[in-house]
Formats: sequence, structure tokens, C-alpha cells
Amino acid sequence: MIASLKIFFRQREAILWTLLFPLFMIFLFGFVKFDGLGRVTVGVVNDAGGKAAPFVEALKEVRTLKVIEGNRTEELTQLGKGEREMVVIIPASFDPSSNDSLLAYVNDEKPQEAQLGALILQRVMDEQAFRRSPPANRIVLWTQPVKSRNLTYIDFLLPGVLSMSIMQMGIFGVAFGFVSLKKRGILRRLWVTPMKPDDFILAQVAFRLIIVMMQILVMILVGVYFFDLHFIGSFGSLFLVGMLGAVVFLAMGFALAGISKSEDQVAPLANIISLPMMLLSGIFFSRSNLPGFVHTITDFFPLTYLADGMRGIAIDGATLAQLTPQLLGLGIWCIVACAVAVKMFRWE
Amino acid sequence: MTDTILEVRNLVKRYGDLVAVDGVTFSVAKQEIFGILGPNGAGKTSTLEMIETLRPIDGGEVRLNDIEVRTHAQEVKRLIGVQLQSSSFFDKLNLSELLLLFGEMYGRQVDPLQLLKEVELEDKAKAQVVHLSGGQKQRFSIAAALVNEPLVIFLDEPTTGLDPQSRRHLWGVIKRIRSEGKTVVITTHYMEEAEELCDRVAIMDQGKIIALDQPQELVRQLLSRGFSKNRVERLASLEDVFLDLTGHSLRDE
Repeated sequence: MIASLKIFFRQREAILWTLLFPLFMIFLFGFVKFDGLGRVTVGVVNDAGGKAAPFVEALKEVRTLKVIEGNRTEELTQLGKGEREMVVIIPASFDPSSNDSLLAYVNDEKPQEAQLGALILQRVMDEQAFRRSPPANRIVLWTQPVKSRNLTYIDFLLPGVLSMSIMQMGIFGVAFGFVSLKKRGILRRLWVTPMKPDDFILAQVAFRLIIVMMQILVMILVGVYFFDLHFIGSFGSLFLVGMLGAVVFLAMGFALAGISKSEDQVAPLANIISLPMMLLSGIFFSRSNLPGFVHTITDFFPLTYLADGMRGIAIDGATLAQLTPQLLGLGIWCIVACAVAVKMFRWE
Repeated sequence: MTDTILEVRNLVKRYGDLVAVDGVTFSVAKQEIFGILGPNGAGKTSTLEMIETLRPIDGGEVRLNDIEVRTHAQEVKRLIGVQLQSSSFFDKLNLSELLLLFGEMYGRQVDPLQLLKEVELEDKAKAQVVHLSGGQKQRFSIAAALVNEPLVIFLDEPTTGLDPQSRRHLWGVIKRIRSEGKTVVITTHYMEEAEELCDRVAIMDQGKIIALDQPQELVRQLLSRGFSKNRVERLASLEDVFLDLTGHSLRDE
């Protein structure tokens, strides 16, 4: 058992690549600013009703602003999550014709956007005051910074890529590695030693689970130190969900290794299984834009469960109890995949 | 017979309708070099693989050091060293590391340098298998088969594809292993190799042993049946010419 473990640990390059590849993806995508679209999202809390309507309408006309109306608690929560750059509070006492001031809460981590938003708001108010006859007094905008967690694309991407690389390692690592050992006669050479086949499988699984843990650790640390990843979850939960996912995909890898005789047979099968998941499980792009029935299908992908689970833990600090649907989904997949693997797997 | 180490009786292997090994019987004495000869598809490798515990035995019995192979495969594995016809080794590990690893599979601490010295590869201890020549690879395979100090070592066509120099060198290695008290079972296509190396040979064809004796005895029997070559016996062969011109020294290192 220990001896078989060593076989894998001595494949230094392989280990290096399993760790480096997902990092490479993160570096590649991390520097692309998908979320820097140049619009300022403003939450408007209108407690003044019709009196403030012309003002709100005018704000909506401004193309640089994305205006969302809501109640006070809701909008401030969104500001806290980083979903708004600023939130303007229009109190019930608001009267556009009399001298008044407005308070806006702004996102402290996005000073530029907040400043721009404040400037535009002030201008819209000034214009409205000016158009009145007689011209009304100027309404002054006060701003107050609020601490926010600004989730960015990297926060979405990193747990996804992490999940994807767990899938790749399971399906491709096991299937290719095993078929190659089989084809090159290395397995036969091992069978004439007293090493037990079960130990060999166990070592394969143990080795890859250790790699999964290293992967999670490295990716999260790199994310936090180099990309301002807003990691608030627990490593323990991440390890647990990651391993559950890994077992699902390892089993798939063993099933593939069982039915394939050469690398040429493994490659298309492995791709048919992994590509749709890679593209549709919400790894690189949110699933919210998928058409209804595709969305429903992808709900049941094992990678969707894994990615949603990992993301929930890492970014929203979800507890395992909150992730019951994901854990249940992975658990069912785990049973199915292991059953199929046991049925399909062949040594020769 | 007390000095019999390997006993094969009525061994049978079927692949579907094809009977690849058809009631093979022979025994090998301790410290013997025993050759199994035969054309491709004669059943040599299947016979060997059943003895080596790699293939299920469909019929008959194999006893190694008086242990039944079919029922005690795990014990037998500890007693044998095997060089397979076409097996490679893990990449990225050098020869020393590979030997240590194989040692660990037997739960043994081995001395890689000593093993490599046995097959004259001690200067390649830090090299990887992919960088070895054909002859060196085969010698390394033998070193790997020796990690558990086996009683019997099985060599499946160890010299196929080697140049005459490397083949002769490998013969030297095999003879030395025997002189250290081990028993060797070898398959080959080369008759002069069997003649040079083997104490006794079994000739197989279509799954059956059709002759079994000492090489000189088989030749004598043939001649006694009135056989004569239709060419005049020469005192030297083309291989002798080749070796005379190119020398006996190894070229692959």
C-alpha cells in the first residue's frame, strides 16, 4: 500500500501539472475584467413617492447609471455585498422645491465609481432645480462610505475552476493513467509482485485525494493573495465537498479505464462526459443565461453540484447544512458512479 | 525428486475454442537453465504466464518449490522473479529508484547498486529507463526480477531484437545468475542461444511439447535418424564473421 502510494508521488511532473494547470487558467481569466463594464449601479430608495418621481426618472435616463429601486434594507444589503456602487436615500420628507439635502451611501472599495455616481447625481439634481420656475435651491448630495464585499468575476471563477480541475483529474487522470499503465505492460509487471490489486486502487484514490487537498489549498491561497479572492468559508468544508466530488469523478475515471483498451478510446469518451459539464455547469459563466430546459438539465450535473457547493462555501461562507441539496446530489452521483465503475472496471 | 523446483503437469490454457496450451508436462531441476523453444504462437508465453500467476490455469497443475501455484499464487509470487516480454517501467524514476520501489512491493530493503552491478549497469544508476539501449533495458529488467532474491527467474525472449554483442553479454549475465544458485526458465527463438545456454530444452508447437532433452542429445537423435544438411558443414557462420569484424565488446554504452 505504501509502496503503491510512492509510485504516484514520484511522478513529480504530473503532480506539478495538476497543480499548475488550474492556476494557469485563473491567471489567464483573472486578468480579464469581465465586470469592469463602466456602468455605475445605483440603488434608489424612494420613500417620497410621486414627489421624487421626476428625479428618479431623470436618473434612469442617464446611460452611465444602472438604477435599481428598492426598499432601504434590501438596497443596503446589496451595497454591503458589493452589488451596488451607491444607494441614494430619498426620505419621505423630500421636497424638490425647497432647500434640501440627500444622503447617499457609497461603496468604500470602489471610490472611483462612487465619485462618478455622485457627480452624475448632483448634476441631475442641479438640472432639475434649474428647470423649475422660479429656479429652486440647489439640493446637496452627501455621501457616506459603507464597508462592502465586492464580489468580482474571480470570486465566481476560482471555485468553479477548482471544481473543474477536480473533475479533470478524476476523469482524465485516472482513465488515461490507467489505460497507459495497462497498455505498456506496467500493470502486468506489477501483478507478478505480491502487491495486492485492492491496495493499488486504494493508493490511486488516496494519492488523488491528497492532490485534491493540495489543489484546494494552493488555489485558495493564490486567490486570496494575488486576486483579492473574498474567501470567507472553512477549509474543512471545502476539503469535504471537494473530496466527495473527487470520488464521483474518480469512479467515472475508473469506469472509463475499464471499458477502454487504449488512449485513443479514452479520449473521446472522457471529452464527451467532461466537455458539456465544463461549459454548462456554471464554471466560466453563470448558468442564469441558459434557456429553461438546458438550465434544468444542468441542475443535475455532478459538476454543477460540486461547483455550486465549492462556491457557496468559499464565497458565501455557507455551512454544510446549507448545502444539503448539493451534498445530496453529489452523494447520489457518488453511489451511481461507483456502482458503474465496479461493474465496468477490468484489469486486463 | 528432491532437487526438482518446478513441476508442470498437463497444463492447459484455452482462449475460446483455441487450445493455446494443450497438456504440457515438464519439470525443472534446481540451478538448471531450462529453455522453452518454439515458433510464434506455440504457447510458450501462455505457459510461462500461467506459471508466473499472471493467467488463470484452465487445467493441470503447477507446483513451484512444492507450492501449488493455482491455490497459493501470493506465496509463489514471493519466490519468483519475472521478466516479461514487453513490459516497461514507470517514467520519471531512475534505475535505483525503480529497484527500491520494486523492493518495497516485496517489503524488502534492497541495495540498488548491488543489483545493478549484477547486470553490469552500476554506472546507469541515475539514468531513466527510456534512455537505455535495448540490451541495457533487458538487463535492467533482469535486475528488477532479482529484487526479491527469487528461487526461479523467468525470462521471456530476453534477447529478441538485440545485436549479437548484447546477446552474448546477456548470456554471460544469465549464466552468472545460475552460478549463484538460481534456477532460470527462458523462452527464445534463437537455437544457437538455446544450445549455448540451456541445460535442457523443451520444443513446443501448437500448444504441445514435441521434444524435451539436452540440446546435444536432440541433435544426436536427429542425426541418428539419418539427417544430413544439404549444405556442406562450414566451420564458421556469418555471425562468426560479423563478430570477428565488429568485435565482442558491447556497443550500447
